[in-house]
Amino acid sequence: MNAGNMSRSRVIAAYAGDIRFELTKMIRTPAFAIPTLLFPLIFFLLFGVLMGSARGNVQMSQFAFSAYGVFGTIAPGLFGFGVSLAFEREQGQLLFRQAIPMPSGSYLLARMVMAMIFVAIVSLIMTALALTLAHVPLTAGQCVAAFFVNVFGVLPFCAIGLFVGSLVSGQAAPAIVNLIYIPMSFLSGLWIPMQMLPKAVQAMAPLWPAHHLVQLSMNAVGSPSMGDPVTHVLALIGVTVLFFVLAVRRLGGRGIRLFGSGRAGGGMPLRRVLNMGVLGIAIGLVIAGVMGGNAPHAATKTAATSNDAGGSVPDASGSSAPVGVAAPDKPVIADFDGGDSNASYGLGFNASDDKMRGGNSSAAQKVVEGALEVSGEVGTGIQYPFAGTSFLPNGAPKADWAKQGFMDYSHKQTLSFRARGDGHEYMVMMMGPALDTIPAMYNFVAGPDWQQVQIPLKNMASIDLQRVKLISFGTMAPGAFRFQIDDVRLE
Amino acid sequence: MSSTPLARLDNAHKQFGKIAALDGLNLAVNRGELLALLGPNGAGKSTAISLLLGLQRPDRGAAELFGEDPHSIDARRRIGVMMQEINLSPVMRPRELIAQTASYYPSPYDTPVVIKRLGIEKIADRPYGKLSGGQKRQAQFAMAICGRPELLFLDEPTVGLDVQAREALWQVLRDLIHEGCSIVLTTHYLEEAEALADRVAVVTHGKLVAGGTVDEIRAHVSRKSVLCRSELPIATMRAWPEVLQVTEDSGRRHIVTRDAEAVLRALLAADAQVRDIEVRRAGLAEAFAEITNSNQASTNQPGSVQ
Repeated sequence: MNAGNMSRSRVIAAYAGDIRFELTKMIRTPAFAIPTLLFPLIFFLLFGVLMGSARGNVQMSQFAFSAYGVFGTIAPGLFGFGVSLAFEREQGQLLFRQAIPMPSGSYLLARMVMAMIFVAIVSLIMTALALTLAHVPLTAGQCVAAFFVNVFGVLPFCAIGLFVGSLVSGQAAPAIVNLIYIPMSFLSGLWIPMQMLPKAVQAMAPLWPAHHLVQLSMNAVGSPSMGDPVTHVLALIGVTVLFFVLAVRRLGGRGIRLFGSGRAGGGMPLRRVLNMGVLGIAIGLVIAGVMGGNAPHAATKTAATSNDAGGSVPDASGSSAPVGVAAPDKPVIADFDGGDSNASYGLGFNASDDKMRGGNSSAAQKVVEGALEVSGEVGTGIQYPFAGTSFLPNGAPKADWAKQGFMDYSHKQTLSFRARGDGHEYMVMMMGPALDTIPAMYNFVAGPDWQQVQIPLKNMASIDLQRVKLISFGTMAPGAFRFQIDDVRLE
Repeated sequence: MSSTPLARLDNAHKQFGKIAALDGLNLAVNRGELLALLGPNGAGKSTAISLLLGLQRPDRGAAELFGEDPHSIDARRRIGVMMQEINLSPVMRPRELIAQTASYYPSPYDTPVVIKRLGIEKIADRPYGKLSGGQKRQAQFAMAICGRPELLFLDEPTVGLDVQAREALWQVLRDLIHEGCSIVLTTHYLEEAEALADRVAVVTHGKLVAGGTVDEIRAHVSRKSVLCRSELPIATMRAWPEVLQVTEDSGRRHIVTRDAEAVLRALLAADAQVRDIEVRRAGLAEAFAEITNSNQASTNQPGSVQ
């Protein structure tokens, strides 16, 4: 007879076998597998293709790629863990597994990997659809980044599912999980972008792990995103640890151990201390995420979009691009006193609109009395319309966006200019390498009298100042507009 | 019983709210024996098994498996378990369930070998959820033995089995014992204990109230049955000294007594026509009834099984 010693390879085979077992189980449960796999893909086809790329709305399809990727990530975690764990707990399967010599934590690991594999499948198919049918502009790096955001992003939902499964009966679990799933999807801006939701919803957003995850995903693919990625990651880690510890404690109270062969007696107080410590850290991380996850609203006034004031992390897509040419020491960019719209360096100011992105806004400009006057009308053809005038500091004539050079403004502190106009609110935007990221923005009002506007560049924190491609003056508010600028300086 | 026991409860106490599920239970399982754990529902049998499996911890006293904490995975790698009232995943097949359980053990039997040994080829590839109650028990039994365990815990293994399947399972248990496996079995089929057990432990109110071989338990009990055919009124028989109970079954009187000789004298004296007299020692059922009843009446000094 054997002596209870087990070779390492057999233990590893046991872990692997449990993963295969859980996968088989889920694949044979069509009520789980089919909606989990199909729903996010169907929604992506609907919003990303039919309402997005088919209507020329690139932002929409880009947003749908992130949003339904995250939507497809929540279900395997919540349902795969929550609902089925509640059932198996009730059926005594968990108890049985801990009576027989299942390797420590194998049940959890298998379900976690199962959830990650489901997410990986959804994510891969969605990426294929995005690149083919939806024509979402994605680099290889962005695809990989979004894939990993989803695959690891399932973990906080696994933890929440585990907690629900430890708490309620198998009968109640599906209803409870749906009560979390559906409202959280909406409140996290998976159906309507967070920037377009009411302020009250925006204020609550950092509470929902799906919000943090979708922002990470949008950041990864270069969509306009909110908040600091590091904060989002911390919040997600906090949620994961918090619910995981709560679930393990709850299951422990029901006599179910998910881990190993704890020694009797002596170890208990230490474990309790560790438990409490981990719980404390997790709550701290969640609070940090809640405090930091939605920071930009304190900084800007417009509700339509919002820039990132949370941190100085450059957008993922461009941080590897070469640093731009150092900006000239002379502070003056343009005073328009020569009667034209040329600048002292770079490509001059040019009227710009959103037609290239599929919109129907229009803009025209002329130099009037030594100042640049811009007028036109902002349409509602796309999600983020724009019209105004743009300056390419290191631009080349007739080159497409990707070929335009960068300017390194990292040693400059302030952008200043004079402005007047029809009394509406306008914005200055600075953009980096990617056309499709949310630009750094600063709002100003152009009233009837000339007014000096000073913008500390540190308020443009989301732009990587070493890689500035474009500085724009204009508006996103639908309707006719007219404003003038003069004496544009960067020093 | 020379060697150290494979599993042991030492003065184990376990309280659930106000109810003492175990109240100082002593129990030891020796190598190569089949120990049957008997007792009415709620007596503490399942709690005792839970403690030995490490599913619960005693409030006081000790539970040991192979001299170790039952939580130890090394100890659990030497046991096989068949629990009551569990449902396995309905979409998985017995073959897969057995293979999964076998993968947890250092040197299990090959899954096809287990399936063949138990003669469950026909159900091996059917979804577990589509099996009958008895077939589910067979699949669970296969999972219990697939790891080549030294000690097997079986909680009501034959519930729901037809007579044939039960006989077959008993034969496997006898073979396993012969191969050196030890078995702890709870059952409420007394004939199961009588047919298989080397030793019986009777538990009521969380205490061991009697323990020993089946014969010892029987001997422990003074009751005997006198069977006969007689025309005497039942009331007359009931009035005799030492008669505990008189019943009639298809014309045959069944007199339960503590003193068979006295009953026989009275019977022969009162009825010259009496026929077909037979005196039987109590079966395990009677023994069990008496032990548990007397224990309910008074808190006897519990016996000790060693």
